[in-house]
Amino acid sequence: MSRRLHPAVAGAQPFQLAERDPDAPLFGSEEGRERLEAILSRYPTRRAALLPLLGYAQELHGWISTGDMEEIAEVLELTPAYVWSVASFYTMYNKHPAGRHMIQVCTNISCHLNGAPRVLEEFLEQTGTVEGETTEDGRFTVLEAECLGACGFATAVQINDAYHENVTPEKVAEILASLDGPESS
Amino acid sequence: MAYPYRDDRETTTILSRHMGEPEARSLSGWLERGGYEALRKAVQMEPDEITEVVKESGLRGRGGAGFPTGMKWSFMPSEPSGPHYLCANADESEPGAFKDREIMRWTPHLLIEGCLIAARAIRAEHVYIYVRGEFFPVIRVLNQAVVEAYEAGYIGESVCDSGWGCDLTVHIGAGAYIAGEETGLMSSLMGGRAEPWMKPPFPAQRGVFGAPTTVNNVETLASVPGIVMNGSAWYRQWGSEKSPGTKMWCCSGNLTKPGNYELELGLPLGEIIHDVCGGPPEGRKVKAVLPGGSSTAFLTADELDCVTTYEGLQEAGSALGTASPIVLDETAEIVPAMRRIAQFYAHESCGQCVQCREGTAWITKILRRIEEGDGEPRDLDTLYDLCDQLTGRTICVLADSVVFPLRSSLDKFRHEYEALMRRSASVAT
Amino acid sequence: MTEGNDLINLIIDGIEIAVEPGTHVIDAAERAGVLIPRYCYHPGIPSRPAQCRVCLVEIEGQPKLQPSCKMTVTEGMVVHTASEEAEDARRAVIELLLVNHPLDCPICDAAGQCMLQDYALETEQLRSRLHEEKLVQGRDRIADDILYFADRCIICTRCVRFMSEVAGDETLIVAQRGDRNVIDTFPGRDLDHPFQGNIVDVCPVGALVHEDFLFKARFWDMDQTASICPGCSTGCNVTIDVKENQIVRVKPRHNPEVNSYWMCDHGRKHLVMSNRGERADVPLIRPDGRLVAADWSEALAWVADRLLEVTGGDAVVSPDSANESLFFLRELLDRLGIGGGSFRVPTGEEATLAGFPKLALRAERAPNTTGAELFGFARVDDPAPSPAGAGLIVLEDPLADHEPEWGGEAAFFLYVGGRLSSAARNAHAVLPVTGFAEMEGSFTNFEGRVQRFHQALRPPGLARPAWMVLSRLIAELDLRRGAETRTETPLEVGQAFAAMAVATPELGGFEWDSIGPKGARLVAAGDAVSADVA
Repeated sequence: MSRRLHPAVAGAQPFQLAERDPDAPLFGSEEGRERLEAILSRYPTRRAALLPLLGYAQELHGWISTGDMEEIAEVLELTPAYVWSVASFYTMYNKHPAGRHMIQVCTNISCHLNGAPRVLEEFLEQTGTVEGETTEDGRFTVLEAECLGACGFATAVQINDAYHENVTPEKVAEILASLDGPESS
Repeated sequence: MAYPYRDDRETTTILSRHMGEPEARSLSGWLERGGYEALRKAVQMEPDEITEVVKESGLRGRGGAGFPTGMKWSFMPSEPSGPHYLCANADESEPGAFKDREIMRWTPHLLIEGCLIAARAIRAEHVYIYVRGEFFPVIRVLNQAVVEAYEAGYIGESVCDSGWGCDLTVHIGAGAYIAGEETGLMSSLMGGRAEPWMKPPFPAQRGVFGAPTTVNNVETLASVPGIVMNGSAWYRQWGSEKSPGTKMWCCSGNLTKPGNYELELGLPLGEIIHDVCGGPPEGRKVKAVLPGGSSTAFLTADELDCVTTYEGLQEAGSALGTASPIVLDETAEIVPAMRRIAQFYAHESCGQCVQCREGTAWITKILRRIEEGDGEPRDLDTLYDLCDQLTGRTICVLADSVVFPLRSSLDKFRHEYEALMRRSASVAT
Repeated sequence: MTEGNDLINLIIDGIEIAVEPGTHVIDAAERAGVLIPRYCYHPGIPSRPAQCRVCLVEIEGQPKLQPSCKMTVTEGMVVHTASEEAEDARRAVIELLLVNHPLDCPICDAAGQCMLQDYALETEQLRSRLHEEKLVQGRDRIADDILYFADRCIICTRCVRFMSEVAGDETLIVAQRGDRNVIDTFPGRDLDHPFQGNIVDVCPVGALVHEDFLFKARFWDMDQTASICPGCSTGCNVTIDVKENQIVRVKPRHNPEVNSYWMCDHGRKHLVMSNRGERADVPLIRPDGRLVAADWSEALAWVADRLLEVTGGDAVVSPDSANESLFFLRELLDRLGIGGGSFRVPTGEEATLAGFPKLALRAERAPNTTGAELFGFARVDDPAPSPAGAGLIVLEDPLADHEPEWGGEAAFFLYVGGRLSSAARNAHAVLPVTGFAEMEGSFTNFEGRVQRFHQALRPPGLARPAWMVLSRLIAELDLRRGAETRTETPLEVGQAFAAMAVATPELGGFEWDSIGPKGARLVAAGDAVSADVA
């Protein structure tokens, strides 16, 4: 799926996707090298490419492994410890493999006022998980999220890179059914 | 991505005129709507001329602090000794605020145009749009627009064939509210933890990559093309002397018609809540409003006649903030709502300053204990004391942000706290 | 000498003081005798993140309290470090730190020298308002000999910044965010840096602990002695912590000319181990083929008598010996007409501290090679061949790597030392002397800085400082050679040093007391003479 990205947006690709290839090399492929060069060309320092590259690793693999961090550290001339320090600060980087559908339910104030806690409960109940846990078939991970910036459309739920708005407990079953089954990947 | 509600009254729209029109997202659609005319004009102007117009317009920063935009630009060195940078702050994460997302997802070219005009004014060679990582659908729209604008020569080596060049890069965050604080944003953009730093140095002296930098909010930048095109007097026909222009209002919480509304600054808050947003659903009554987002002080139903300008809301004891009123109606409970707000700030504290790192988390724990019926009256004294300790004592204002709603909730809704106190404790006092 | 208008005048807690421009308020206050509490600020670490907020002070004209570590002085500034608001803020910072800090002081290695305990006392934290459970994060190993107690950590980041800014090694970091912040390394990659032990010293609380010190001693049960690290020729200034006559810990002592606030890990380990093991603790003489114990006067008389019979010979010394000991040995050799003498220097890999490059673990792993050379001993690579038929005097070289029969052929073999290897047991007499931490004396470091060390331990048995033993031996010898008055012998180190300084032009007329805690540099021999003439 080689696609040449404009350098201006090469480091800004959605990285919470259902489709991913856990075995894809980061910089061993032509696409990876192109992406790296495109990103590096946009900043005066190599270090500034860190967040874009962490995003790229997650876009590819679905999460960020210690191996990914070591590889990124090497190309950016940073220590792996530094990369870990930064990666662990940001909540969107998955430090463990996540379900194919990462369901993030906003429970912040505006959604809270509109029944978000019940929406979260419903997701957990229907997937049979506790918060942060992945279903055994690897399909779902349900998380409580901080404000998703869709307060006028409460309750806001983000599933991978898509927003679902005005979600009520009644809509949960329908939303889950619309996501792919256990056999597809 | 339906655009749910519109203000049916006769109002002026600058920022939101094309929201809800999918065609406006493409370059061709944007050009049909008069897009990039302001940029064509700006590239023929001297940088200081642009700054002057914006200064005269009285435009104030829309990210929360309300600092005059033109003045901020004028802090940048007029004779560059190296690169200058513009950072567009699109890391919108303040609970209650969802305006920048709307601007970007409907009219990405408006932001791009504003960015380039601002870049010219501050002599920046590169613009970074720092977009909140969660906004994937928005990022796709924005990326598409940026590529189109590059290809059509609105960004790049010679902007609008003027010979003046400027680059623009979309940079995405990864889940950290504090990256929306300007020094936190720059720390993050440089590939670090989004930890704010103590000023000085100010960004205009030494910002991102050690170079003079201006950080402007998306809505601020989106307001610039209109001002440059039509002049400062045009912009000043709306709003007040100190708060000119129009503003996106993100209305949420218990409302019949929540959503984004572009309104002239200066309407009474009650009018926005009741006339524009239809008030709370099912005829319920308003109990409280956080008028400028979750980091502003609560106003009660009796205080809604205040005027929605920067100065008007300040006089009322709150703040305009991001103009994101969160409405709590009579069915809402203050303590759980306050706990949820505090929980957010505790989660988002970067953890550098002790007051913020420990204080926001402790406040959350105390509020949760009260919420669960295990509170004691003296907890309120502790909370008040923590309010004092978290005000003005840290590197950035994240700690202050939790104090505004907390202190006002204690002042104005003490009875709701007391009603939850442990029975034995209540009897004892 | 200093012109008044070069200085900035300010008032701190009512005390007028003038300091150089660019001085930070916290340092200016210290000079005025006001110690402002601090956690994240450390004078040896360049960055000032101003994040612990415990050094907030009131500065007149400023609307908010300001971090005194970050603010530089301005002319006419008026600072109040103990105003009601400043004290209130300080009290709150301590209370907030205690929200998640365990009250495990009884089993904490830092108890008694913990800056959280100290400030909790100062700010009178009499009663906790905390009803919540503390966050538990547990403990972690971050180096093969350093443990991290996350719950005690106050995230001042001194350790992280020492490693990145002073050691130049970005392997220790802050991970996570907010109150979940912890100090961490990359998974599976512990610290491995020759200067990493300093992170334990800069830790203001008990979060970072040397495993070999864990649960070893209470601070108040230890005696502290100023000393010099004998681990290499740098001569880092150190403090030796002793409990029950055992060295249990060594910490660097500030000397801006030598080691700043730091020392290497080799030095710590070397010093802690240096006094362990079996020791010679009684004079031994061999009047009839067998080494037998003697008291000092008997032993010295017997040795002096034997030395009179010796013509020519050789000496082997140690670069671990004090200047004073080496000096008196040279005096003795001169009287015996023995010239030369040699010493060997153990070597190892050099390691420099990037942020303070003057400080290195030097390849020469001995504290006093310069001193040994100053007193005319020659550096050699291999053990001296066993001399036959002549005199042999060995000072403090343990002879551990010599053949077991080494020295047995000498006409008279005098061993002045503290350890009895097989070769040392061939001596005709053994005069037991104190090791370096058991005595007072001085070393001359690689750049010619003469530095004093003090006695931290009780010496074993009858062991005495070598300078004392050798000077007595000289007196005995002189007596036998018809001296009219008994040669003066030093009773304490100041006298020994004085005798040495008089005879050594490079010591430029120094006195023991005038060297001072920072040491004094040797002068070129010619300069010293002219200085004396002047």
